[in-house]
Amino acid sequence: MTVPPDTVPVPEATGTPRPGLHGRRAALRGRPAMWRLGKPMFWLLLIFFILAPCACFLALAVSPRLFSQGPQWFTLSYLHQTFTGATAVAVANSLWVSCAAAALGLAIGFPIAWLAGRTTLPGRRWAAGGMWLVLLLPSWLPALGWERLVQADGVMYRAGLNLPFVTHAIMGPFGVVLLLGLRSVPFSFLAVTAALAGLGQEFEDAARVHGASRIEAMRLIVPMLAPAIWSALAIGFAESVSDFGVAATLAYNSHFPLATYALYQDIGNFPPSFELAAGTGWLLVGAVALPLALQARALRGRSYQMLSGRSRQAVRRQLSRRGTAAAVAGVTLFYLVALGVPGFGAVSASLLGDYGGSFSLTLVNYRAVLHQAGLIGPLERSLIYGAVTASITMVGGFTAAWLLAQRKSKSTRILDFMLLAAVALPSVVFGAGYIFAYNLPIMSRLGINLYQTTTLLIIAYSASSLPTNARVLVGAVSQLQPSLKDAARAHGAGALLAWARGVLPVVSRPLTMAWLLTFCGVFLELPLSQLLYAPGSPPASVAIEDNLSNYHFGVGMAQSVLAVGLALLAVMVVLGGYRLIAPPGWRRIGGTARG
Amino acid sequence: MAERISIAGLTKVYPGGSHALRDVALDVAPGTFVVLLGPSGSGKTTLLRCLAGIERITSGRIAIGAATVAEGRMHVPPDKRDLSMVFQDYALWPHLTVRDNVAFALRRRRLSRDEARTRAADMLERVGLGALTGRYPNELSGGEQQRVALARALVADTSLILCDEPLSNLDADLRERMRVEISSLVREATTTTVYITHDQAEAFALADRVGVLESGRIVQEGTPEEIYTRPATPFVARFTGLSGELPVIIRGPAGDGIFEVEPTGPARIRPFHARGQRDSVTVGTALLMIRPAGVQLCAVHTGEHHLAGVVADVAFRGRGYEHAIDIPGNGRLTGVYSGVRAARGENVGLRLDAGGCHLFPGGEAAGSGPPEPALAAGVA
Repeated sequence: MTVPPDTVPVPEATGTPRPGLHGRRAALRGRPAMWRLGKPMFWLLLIFFILAPCACFLALAVSPRLFSQGPQWFTLSYLHQTFTGATAVAVANSLWVSCAAAALGLAIGFPIAWLAGRTTLPGRRWAAGGMWLVLLLPSWLPALGWERLVQADGVMYRAGLNLPFVTHAIMGPFGVVLLLGLRSVPFSFLAVTAALAGLGQEFEDAARVHGASRIEAMRLIVPMLAPAIWSALAIGFAESVSDFGVAATLAYNSHFPLATYALYQDIGNFPPSFELAAGTGWLLVGAVALPLALQARALRGRSYQMLSGRSRQAVRRQLSRRGTAAAVAGVTLFYLVALGVPGFGAVSASLLGDYGGSFSLTLVNYRAVLHQAGLIGPLERSLIYGAVTASITMVGGFTAAWLLAQRKSKSTRILDFMLLAAVALPSVVFGAGYIFAYNLPIMSRLGINLYQTTTLLIIAYSASSLPTNARVLVGAVSQLQPSLKDAARAHGAGALLAWARGVLPVVSRPLTMAWLLTFCGVFLELPLSQLLYAPGSPPASVAIEDNLSNYHFGVGMAQSVLAVGLALLAVMVVLGGYRLIAPPGWRRIGGTARG
Repeated sequence: MAERISIAGLTKVYPGGSHALRDVALDVAPGTFVVLLGPSGSGKTTLLRCLAGIERITSGRIAIGAATVAEGRMHVPPDKRDLSMVFQDYALWPHLTVRDNVAFALRRRRLSRDEARTRAADMLERVGLGALTGRYPNELSGGEQQRVALARALVADTSLILCDEPLSNLDADLRERMRVEISSLVREATTTTVYITHDQAEAFALADRVGVLESGRIVQEGTPEEIYTRPATPFVARFTGLSGELPVIIRGPAGDGIFEVEPTGPARIRPFHARGQRDSVTVGTALLMIRPAGVQLCAVHTGEHHLAGVVADVAFRGRGYEHAIDIPGNGRLTGVYSGVRAARGENVGLRLDAGGCHLFPGGEAAGSGPPEPALAAGVA
């Protein structure tokens, strides 16, 4: 029987009490009290920083009077307005573009996942590893790369390549679908890869020995990947519809309005219309939630669980010479379009002067960035914001994951739903909620004057990253066996030492990865930064955007290139540091077996 | 119709040079239930997969009936071999209902959809799942999933059924019940069956004939009785259940493959008889392998014992007691049965029976310590 540490029975002292026993009893009595306070405190923080701002903002659309923003206690007029005029166009654009992007993401991600997981594709490890780079890169960076490459005064034209049809194609709906589609590829890739890993060879073997030809066997097997396909489509759609990076750059500059940017403009225009923005927020939340809910409903009650410890690992199919060439060409083309071309666009644009039409390369932009405090400052600032947020979120995410991994109760179910909903919430809605909520007169009356402060920006970063962080960590935390900590306690370790010996080694790697994930996400985050940065202290993404919108293309692109370089350097430092500092035993946990 | 299986000179080398099968030869008469028995890594799964056509052979020949299905580079794909298979993990397609899983195997019979479904339902009725035809595999218990896999293998009335350790994922009670079901259903179908397992008790219970594999070779093939009473090699003897091993000295032949032997060491009391192959054992030192059925516990004072020992452990087994006996200077015998419980530390006598004592050349026992539990848990 395992006795929870906070209910450990203290043996009755016989004879003279030993020194320290009283203190130990006091500690045992005190701990549950602390625990009782800590849990509601965590919930309060979640409600205050995640639920309340967004709920207030969304409620505004139907009840402006509730927040003293209008005469109506209940109205649907703002929601109705989103179905008319420019907002309706933006919403319609977002919906069809996201459908197309999700389909494109699946069309590219599925074959790459199959090639990397089931064939002898040369460089398949690189093909799989590169997906993380595509995933972690904020969408506005490749969008800017493409934009600077093909714009009328961009790199392509200054290099003497006059291809107006390329400019028209990229600077329009096609370009938007292409970029959002490429951004969806990693989600499809990861979903299909996970499903393929669980799909043992025996299902295909069983079909073959019971009379199915190779093609018939494939037709039988592919529906078994239905959950992955639905997930890929749903996530691809949700990510595209809530994307702000492409909407604020390539789509905006192509005069192709998307819903997220329309919401941003509703707040940014003078006078701001929070009610209309809230109405658009409802549509965005609905557009994200609907496919995810449909996906969950479609798969409910039907278990496709096939992974068992004894599943036979699938045999890699030997590609023919022609097949290998075609596969390598296809995967290379994907990386070229997703990373190579925009990377080339960004780097080359950063090496060109802002004025004059010549293609002479110069380092003047980099010199400017590195020597002017106003240009390098935002990068340094974002590094600090990223590190601080990642550290806060790591603690909060671990706590949330730990609560989620406990025995299912009503509170864990609510937490689970809340975090899932928050993951699906578009950042721009989140940011708008923060602006609205922390501008309410009641906040001033309560003495909470956080609006337009760095503190609020960090809180918003942390609150928006926490749900994803908790989802990332919940898998590892669920695998923690209470007996690990109990064994350490039973063999004489104190609570802290037991945690360090029994828990930390198991979760150290996932914690490091979660830290990095948040750091990378926050370092170049755009929508929250754009909406909530403290005046005079712009983060990197805002500074880059400002430079580009003021036609300082070279400096802006140099900042972008340096920012990506810094992010990669930070990843290497953290991973290298973990490798150097973590004991060998820690590194083995969660690593892949050799052979 | 049941078909003959002929395997000759079969070799399988995996990329990287690992030899899974080496020059395997096996001939299975039509309608026979043959069990391939061997430890992990002995090549039994590879042999089964080569038979199924899932793996390509490196060299040799496989024929099912009159048709050669694999020879050199010639390879008939699995769907053209007219066979069916029960997989270790059952391999039921999770998105198909129980009925559709079973009916899938009838596609090669080119029946109408309705007829296929009717036959599938009939077969499910036979395996006791008539009420569950509309369910999905995840809605079934392990034993029910196993029955669906069996129904799928039986429904198409193929000439050959292959079974890849189908009972290994079931608990002990269910395993025994499913063993009986497999045995009776497959024999009703009068088809040729090749079944692989690493469990010698399961093999002896199911098989008409047993093939024992070691390191990619079939080292002995015969009826279960032949394998048990006349193991061809020490490996076969060990793998099919031993109480223990002793170095002995052969005094001389005692007729009909029986030899008079005497143990070495201080535990010996008097000579006894053991079975050996005349052409492989000669007078001198030899290794004695003792089946659990070949040794009996008896009191020292009766004077009927051949060996003396000390009780190291005793376990109640329902019908009686199994003892572990330390033989001074010669290791330990396990699974020594007696209807009467002997106390730990008690001096006891051991009577050896020639039918359960097998002689092999060489005089060194496999180990001075106790034998592996798997080896000791023999077919009593």
